[in-house]
Amino acid sequence: MKFILTLLFLLIGFTTYASKENCILTIRGKILHEENNEPIEAAYIWIKELETGTASDINGNFRLNNLCPGNYELKISYLGHADVTERIEIKANANFTFRLHAEDINLEGVEIHGHQDAIITTTSVNALRGEELKYARGESLGISLRRIPGVNTFSSGSNISKPVIHGLHSNRIMILNNGIRLEGQQWGSEHAPELDPFIAKEIAVVKGAETVRFGPDAMGGIIIVNPAALPVKAEQSGEIDLIGSTNGRGIIGAASFSGGSEKIKGLGYRIQGSSKYQGNIQAPDYIQGNTGMRELNFSGAMGYSSQKLGTELYFSHYQTTIGILRDAHTGNLSDLEAIIQNGRPFSESEFTYEINNPKQLVSHQLLKLKSHYHLNNGAKLNLQYGFQRNQRQEFDRRRGEANTRPSLDLELFTNTLDFSFTHVTRKNWNGSVGMNLIQQANSNIPGTGVVPLIPNYDMVNIGIYAIEKYTSGPLEIEGGLRYDYRYVEAARFNSGELEERNFTFQNFSAFLGGVYALSSTLNFNTNFGTAWRPPNINEQFSQGLHHGVAAIEIGNPDFLSEQSYKWINTLSHNGNKLNFELTGYVNRINNFIYLNPTEQQFVSLRGSFNVFEYQQTDAFLWGIDLSSIYEINSHIEVFSRGSMVRAKNLTDNNYLPFIPSDRLETGISYKFHQEINNSSPKIFLENLLVAQQNREPDFDFAAAPEGYSIWNMGIQTPIKTEKSNLNVGLHVNNLFNTSYKDYMNRFRYFTHELGRNILVKLNYEF
Amino acid sequence: MKINSTIKTIFKASIFMVILGFNAACTSEDPELENEEELITDVTLKFTEVNEAGIPIATSFEVKAIDTEGLEVGGSPTIGTINLTTGKRYLIEIELFNSIENEDITEEIVEEADEHQFYFLGSAFVGTPILSYTYDDEDGKGNPIGLRGFIRVAEAAIVNNAQFRLVLRHDLNKAFNGANNPNFVDFVNADGETDLDIVFPVIVE
Repeated sequence: MKFILTLLFLLIGFTTYASKENCILTIRGKILHEENNEPIEAAYIWIKELETGTASDINGNFRLNNLCPGNYELKISYLGHADVTERIEIKANANFTFRLHAEDINLEGVEIHGHQDAIITTTSVNALRGEELKYARGESLGISLRRIPGVNTFSSGSNISKPVIHGLHSNRIMILNNGIRLEGQQWGSEHAPELDPFIAKEIAVVKGAETVRFGPDAMGGIIIVNPAALPVKAEQSGEIDLIGSTNGRGIIGAASFSGGSEKIKGLGYRIQGSSKYQGNIQAPDYIQGNTGMRELNFSGAMGYSSQKLGTELYFSHYQTTIGILRDAHTGNLSDLEAIIQNGRPFSESEFTYEINNPKQLVSHQLLKLKSHYHLNNGAKLNLQYGFQRNQRQEFDRRRGEANTRPSLDLELFTNTLDFSFTHVTRKNWNGSVGMNLIQQANSNIPGTGVVPLIPNYDMVNIGIYAIEKYTSGPLEIEGGLRYDYRYVEAARFNSGELEERNFTFQNFSAFLGGVYALSSTLNFNTNFGTAWRPPNINEQFSQGLHHGVAAIEIGNPDFLSEQSYKWINTLSHNGNKLNFELTGYVNRINNFIYLNPTEQQFVSLRGSFNVFEYQQTDAFLWGIDLSSIYEINSHIEVFSRGSMVRAKNLTDNNYLPFIPSDRLETGISYKFHQEINNSSPKIFLENLLVAQQNREPDFDFAAAPEGYSIWNMGIQTPIKTEKSNLNVGLHVNNLFNTSYKDYMNRFRYFTHELGRNILVKLNYEF
Repeated sequence: MKINSTIKTIFKASIFMVILGFNAACTSEDPELENEEELITDVTLKFTEVNEAGIPIATSFEVKAIDTEGLEVGGSPTIGTINLTTGKRYLIEIELFNSIENEDITEEIVEEADEHQFYFLGSAFVGTPILSYTYDDEDGKGNPIGLRGFIRVAEAAIVNNAQFRLVLRHDLNKAFNGANNPNFVDFVNADGETDLDIVFPVIVE
């Protein structure tokens, strides 16, 4: 609708003034929310004298062409916001930025703008929200993010998957769980992120190096899991999800309820919970033994918003029990070689919900307190405190009473304190200065009867940063600088002797980025950022057996910090029928830490094992992501998403391990009726093509599996009533029950991927 | 001004929370020495010459494989040589010990007999074997364990030295077809994992 309006106004402008001499000037501009700098779509820009105007597009940009030089009064209006009237003199083409101030939220009939912070970055942001997020309901965070080009997963079986952004994962990316950096034992390849995707109203991915804003580790990018803003009006709403799946005979239930207080304006709350119960999953030809899982999560939030003040208290609990494929726990190298040779588990398993050893028991709690206060002139103070407790217990098959005790038992406490001051001028400048404090304590709970994998440690990290952004019409330029200091104190017993080591790391990081709106539909983003990551505790101290891969892994306490330089460019087009986004990036990482196989084999009474040493090298990664959607007509839409990554070890001139191979996803959807508010049944068919990884490291236990092609389809039917909204979905994943293995799954040594899975998804909103 | 007091309250509350959080649980515990409980550091093969009725007719001797550090990197096992005489029959008993924890693992194997089984492999048991093994124990379900058995040395051994590979499997499916054969080469097919895999040199004279 707005496009038609825009076109109409442009057309009127053109016909009215084109004939006049010198009337060839153009003004362009951008309209933003003052409180969070998010672009305002469909704000109205009116030139009083000419009785002409236009509306801003999805990026807040507008353009008025064919203006004659002169003095004009410009008026910008948007629902729920104070009008801005400004006299401008136009002599040449000009750019303007306007920030609109939200009106008092107590006014009746005014659209309320909550205090949700937008991600202010010049790097392009990809997000799952709305309908797309509904499709992804019931999937783990890693799996659902595969819908974003350039994002993949690094898995250990079907129940554990970690997101990979542009070839990097674990400690090289950051996950922000409701604004707090998620701190679990994320170094482990078999340690999935400890959060409940049902809390999310939006899951966003920033693929640039965002270290300056968010602190060390974010060299590959960040994943932002944001719940909806708390209600500020006296109204109640809720959502119930019920999902059943045939593969694993799983059932997932989730519910959330939020409301606003009638007595105290601006006071809102939400309670939410979800649960999952799943048994052994099935590859096309066999059941995978001991692959059940359980999950139980709940959270509560309460917030108060007034015009000046916003404050929020949030608590969440996450808890899971994950069965690990029995055959993935091998005794020695010849066991591992035997199962790789066999290509699938030796055991013939039955379906059961029971979970035996090996298994993982993980729980994670987050307590968050956040406040912000709006000062005059659009400036804002933010204060956020987070407390996290992460407990991880891993059980192996052991003899006797030891079988009931975990062989890894870790408890990690993290305190984070974030403070920032953001300022906005009404026109061109905005920015922030801030400080992040992280304090962490990791302890091994005694009594495992196994020498701990990582030491006990204490860590403190202090970072200060400043970011400034200049906006002028279609152009935005942003730069930032950060300094970090980290102190780590580690202690463990090494061959019976107490060993204590201290480490200090410090680093500067910086970025410079920009966005330019080439036209009302075409945007170009560029961002160059440096990032750093101190060596992780496991990379420094590992010294022992990694059961899954029959390997002895040896760390090095003297590692230097990794340094990364990432340049990312995105060209995006948001047209009437066609949307596309093309991203290209290069990432040079010095002192890149990786696990390198050595020539030697370690012989023990238990047989022999391969020996791997952590090493530092220089790495170079580059790649391209592409996504596009084209609306053929009001019924049919086609989409395509693809990504490729290349990653080289520059020192040894070979390839880095576990880098995703090229992927291409193509799909078509058909809407039965052409209705604006998405209330039509929709059927979709998708194909995923994944190439074989031909760029393998020099050593791997097994060659990269062949490429594969799988099909998914589904139907989604919304049933709308005045007050509620029911969505019924039937999805079939791996439609043809194709048997395949994925290079990015460490369990490809032992087993195939999931066979056909039929899911019934019910979503009820009220 | 009401807002100001609210801010003050919230500010105070947050300071309180921070202090609380930092004090509550925020330094790591001192590490405690953790010994490998599951480790087998000493494997003893006790050979006793017996007659056809299984009655000992000579004093027994022991052959050991020892690895004091277990799986710790750098440790390497010392493995003894098995010396046997052609044509004789021996009772072979296996004893397992964890010298780090001072724990008798043999008992644990007996307690979980249905989950453990020894296999006797290597060139000594292949082709025209110089050694042949028979189990002489069983678990509660009548399946062999291998803690106790008999070895017969061939009358005319074609070679005088060979390999005696001892494998202890844990958590296997003893009902698997062929799993009751002490020389079952495809023991991995019966599922489970390896707890011991030692190659002893064997010399027959």
